[in-house]
Amino acid sequence: MSMLATEEKISVTGDLSTTGTRIEDGGRRLGLMLTLPAQLLVLFIAVFPLLMQLYISLTDWSPLDGIGWWQAYELWNNFANYTDLAVDSRFWDALGRTALVMLICVPAEFLLGLGLAILFMDNFAGKRVFYSIMLIPMMVVPAVAGYMFFMLFQSGGPVNDIISTLIGRPFALAWLSSPGTALIAVMIADIWQWTPLMFLILLAGLVGVPEDQMRAATLLGASWSQRFRTIVMPKMKTIIIIALSIRVIENFKIFDTLYIMTGGGPGVATETISVYIYKVTQQDLIWGYVAAIALVILIALSILVSLAISRMNAAKEA
Amino acid sequence: MNRSLPFEIFRYAAILLALAVTLIPTLWMASMAFKPIAEWSAAGADLTWWPKSPTLDNFRFIFGTSTSDLIVALDRTAGKPILASLLSAVFGTLIAMTAGTAGAYGLSRFGSGQNLPLALIQLRLFPPMAVMIPVMIMWAFFGLVDTWWGLALIYGIVTLPFAFWLMKTFFDDMPREIEDAALVEGCSRLRVFMKITLPMMRPALASSALFVFILNWSDYLIALLLTTREWVTIPVYMASLSSSMTGQLYGAKAALGLIAAVPPVIMGIAIQKHLVRGLTFGALKQ
Repeated sequence: MSMLATEEKISVTGDLSTTGTRIEDGGRRLGLMLTLPAQLLVLFIAVFPLLMQLYISLTDWSPLDGIGWWQAYELWNNFANYTDLAVDSRFWDALGRTALVMLICVPAEFLLGLGLAILFMDNFAGKRVFYSIMLIPMMVVPAVAGYMFFMLFQSGGPVNDIISTLIGRPFALAWLSSPGTALIAVMIADIWQWTPLMFLILLAGLVGVPEDQMRAATLLGASWSQRFRTIVMPKMKTIIIIALSIRVIENFKIFDTLYIMTGGGPGVATETISVYIYKVTQQDLIWGYVAAIALVILIALSILVSLAISRMNAAKEA
Repeated sequence: MNRSLPFEIFRYAAILLALAVTLIPTLWMASMAFKPIAEWSAAGADLTWWPKSPTLDNFRFIFGTSTSDLIVALDRTAGKPILASLLSAVFGTLIAMTAGTAGAYGLSRFGSGQNLPLALIQLRLFPPMAVMIPVMIMWAFFGLVDTWWGLALIYGIVTLPFAFWLMKTFFDDMPREIEDAALVEGCSRLRVFMKITLPMMRPALASSALFVFILNWSDYLIALLLTTREWVTIPVYMASLSSSMTGQLYGAKAALGLIAAVPPVIMGIAIQKHLVRGLTFGALKQ
């Protein structure tokens, strides 16, 4: 508050010293009025729902019980949802699978995106057109992308056709119906769709590296890799952290493409945390339990993020 | 940077490979959309990369004007789901942009709502699946389940962080001299905002609105949870396009997928200048 407010006061009093305070008050009133809708929406979606979620998570309530959620206290279960969750192997497996997908997809997207961004750093014929085409995957509706890859990975589909041509003999793997390959197919779809995002952000960072420094380093005889390590990378540090954070956060939510491709199957082979919660919500309908899972994830994420932010701040000050 | 011939050859080879990988999935769907049923390549049939006898039957089929060679007729056409997607995405964008623009201006100029930037980032952080239980209960309570306006409301909230952050960076970048001059002329602050600032920001508003629209149009999970029949959106409807008699309706789904995929791709390319700013919450500008 303070910084922006003083700035405002200085500019206003400088222009109209006599009426400055009146306008300042008017500005504050208008500011409150303008921010009100956003504040109300945040309250509407954050505060009340979280309290409701906490309340329901302590009960066995399900929408099929025939009683309103506010009467859920009748189904109080002594924190059974939380103790159940601790030993719910399907939950922990889903969490592990989500982490595995993240640990493979995000670095792959980063490296591919960085490699492509380096290739796009200076001008060459066709750059603008290629650049636009490269961005297409992330604009495709994720559910549609899921359907595209569902078709590509059919046993009589194009992926197997290309592999057959390459190895010179028929290849008919049913990618999506065997547990090991289904997860690989799902990760390939994610990498296809989100490498462009890494490419876009990293390229924006690379282009922002000052050219005169690079030229000076070249004149002094620095090799390409030396220039990259000593000039480019330090400038890129924040940008890399931003790009990775965005993908880690979004990848953790992975649902659309995956659910369309495999529905979490075969069995539970591609069941990530979002898919698991969705299935419990829709199929088992134990919403008290779902609320408990959701809260645990929200709290865990909040702790992780505040840790990350405080570490980043510490690094910035050092 | 590096202009040697081998490097140039390597560069073009790598980029062409990347372009091929980028385009093949999309082109395969586009090609599938124009294939007659015989070329859908069920098991055993030869794979057709390009439709041998291109047809519009798949499009006619999903809009209910032809059943092509399929025995099934659809119990509902794609018209209503497309309308549902359009209405919910457009009005969701309107809600996000109105609240986001006003809030961003209030913060950028008057320092109001200092809690908003962080609160909105946090809103974005959580998986939607982890906050849907209360939303489903509330939406049921207000009679908003399976309505396009119910979807529009949740879309408006979900994409508010992007609208707010994008507009905040645009307002922060905008020089204040013109506004100050109008204030000296005796305009009220609200009038300055409505009559001077907003018209000046028209390009920024348009880019942000398109960005938010793409996000709303892309949703699958929320519509899956909050619509059941009347107002299902395109992706939810698409998943229902398979029957026990015909199995997967590849061509029909591909035709619908193409219809769903084309608008955001065109919009995204139109606003590519601002994509980085939008995706990084204004932390980076191109």
